[in-house]
Amino acid sequence: MPGSGKSDDRRLGFKVSQEVVVVAISIALFVVFSATLNNFLSQGNIIAILKNVSILGTLAVGMGFVVVGRGIDLTMVAVMVVGVAFSIWISTWSIDFTLAVICGAVLVAAIGLFTGVMVAIAEVPPIFATLAIASSVYGSGRIVFASDVLYAPPDIAWLKFVGNGSVLGIPMSVVIFGAVAALMGLFLRRTRFGRLVYATGDNPNAARTTGLPTRPIIVTQYVISALIAFTAGIIMTGLVTGIDTRLYNSSLIYDVLLVVVLGGIGLSGGQGGVRNVIAGTILVGILTNGMTILNFSYTSQNLIKSVILLSALAIDAIINPRDEQTSQSGDI
Amino acid sequence: MKLFKKCLLAGMTALALLGAAQVASAQETDQVGRAAYIDGVKGKKVIFVPISQGMDLNQAWVMVWQRHAARYGFTLEVRDPNGDTNAGIRAMQGAIAEKPDLIIVQNPDVQTYARLLKQAQAAGIKVLQVNMQSATQTDSYVGNDWIEMGRLEMGELAKHCTGPNAVSHKVVWLAGVQTGAANIYMRTGIDEVLKANPELQLVSDQPADYISEKARQITETVLQQHPDLCGIMGIWDNAEVGAGAAVAAAGKQDQVTIVTNGAGAATGCESIKNGLLDVIFNFNAPTQGEIAAQQISELLQHPDRKAGSEKTIFFGPITRVDKTNATGRNCWKPEDIK
Repeated sequence: MPGSGKSDDRRLGFKVSQEVVVVAISIALFVVFSATLNNFLSQGNIIAILKNVSILGTLAVGMGFVVVGRGIDLTMVAVMVVGVAFSIWISTWSIDFTLAVICGAVLVAAIGLFTGVMVAIAEVPPIFATLAIASSVYGSGRIVFASDVLYAPPDIAWLKFVGNGSVLGIPMSVVIFGAVAALMGLFLRRTRFGRLVYATGDNPNAARTTGLPTRPIIVTQYVISALIAFTAGIIMTGLVTGIDTRLYNSSLIYDVLLVVVLGGIGLSGGQGGVRNVIAGTILVGILTNGMTILNFSYTSQNLIKSVILLSALAIDAIINPRDEQTSQSGDI
Repeated sequence: MKLFKKCLLAGMTALALLGAAQVASAQETDQVGRAAYIDGVKGKKVIFVPISQGMDLNQAWVMVWQRHAARYGFTLEVRDPNGDTNAGIRAMQGAIAEKPDLIIVQNPDVQTYARLLKQAQAAGIKVLQVNMQSATQTDSYVGNDWIEMGRLEMGELAKHCTGPNAVSHKVVWLAGVQTGAANIYMRTGIDEVLKANPELQLVSDQPADYISEKARQITETVLQQHPDLCGIMGIWDNAEVGAGAAVAAAGKQDQVTIVTNGAGAATGCESIKNGLLDVIFNFNAPTQGEIAAQQISELLQHPDRKAGSEKTIFFGPITRVDKTNATGRNCWKPEDIK
């Protein structure tokens, strides 16, 4: 089973996977920025980098989980903003905010369940199912909430702690990202269910023929990714005191997908893991931080970002050329 | 005898007056010009193509306009592209094809609708632009004087960040969308202030895209680089709360002044009260809506005037709001306008 992402390419003594390329580029950028930018290497800035990618990273862990099972979840940003906005909205009917958040989580899980059923049982290709569901979820939210920006009630102690608190000097947003990533890593590697996700992603037909419960596995994946998206939304609400549903219109969902693919989780499923997501997240984090410090214009930032990301993919394609042995059915 | 004559005269006068009053009340007393006004606006069709109706300012405008429309019998249709420029182009094309009496438009940037607005004018449709201008000038523009807004905001920072007591001369401009009218014109105003105060140092000039989390991330990074930062100016209160959150997280609320502008919604006042923002230059969207409503009436009342024949501009009010006056009309709620 190629679940751990291992290939047989050991010519160089170690595996030069896409993940290694990405880590190498991250290290190179880190060294260059540390040498040329004041305060880049400061403890505060390193924490700022991690804090700034905590939401992207959390979302990417959920996306990675679905992609490993050969799916894709384009509903994540819609579910994140609508789930949290729903919680804030019902909390205005003098319902306790914590209870409202639990209601939001239930709603989000129900959306995930519906998506999972559409993909696993109705067998709608995930890219179309999730694209359509994302837009209906956002659309429904847009009609119900009227405003794009919803502010959480002030003085919710735990929400303030999520935004401003820290554990051993590490901001809570980073702690939550780390915890979600660690749990997902353990889940994928150490549990039977996790291994089944790889099996399903690697070859769904074979998995089903062997008698694996592929449909329940797929449904569970979408429920979990929806709940992870909700968690990311709660982090955001803690950080900036509210949620902006217009994020659905931003490029965030593509950034999430980019982090996943860049880190080396193939869209064809069955390969990669949380480590890849973290590698991709950190590269994007270092790059964005450095360019913000250098005060590059928006256009040049996008240009540089895409060139570096493209080169990571190109280097991987040169080092690990695709052939009949490595490619799978369903490869994009 | 004299007294009797006087009484008789008074009595007759009173009778005469009463009779005259009766005659007058028999006819309806119409307010001068009202019939012509109602005749002018009744049954007219107005289409509004906003950037997105999810924004507080848009909600205030439309509430005000709907009230006028309902009272005087014209229709107002809102074709909301919800932040999608392509959908906006389609909405504009659709609106032009329907030949309404007036199109109201809030431009996402100065170029996208520029040609469409020319087409609309050529087709004889009057066009009112609100708050966000296009490169094409049409019959009327109602909204902010954005150059003045840039001057006011950077001027506010200049007050705090120059002189011997300033913590530093470092300031940040958190832009919106770089091709938007607000952004382009505010920049002109900002540059004027920067030129007049050469000691001010613009250390970062990044677009936050009107998104609070992005504003937070940029601010967090900049604060690491410039721990002695003195001021931040932005473009929309709902986005700059993110900058405020980053400053609060760094414990620098007393050091960094955050100035922005906004529609004057109560949420902005809340942000001032809980210390996320220091000053909002409030452009009072309900009042802006009333000025635009006046323009709607004017444009509908004169169908004889050719579209584009007269070009007028109305700048709305701008009020400086800080924690001393973040109350009352400076903090409207949607339910107050209804």
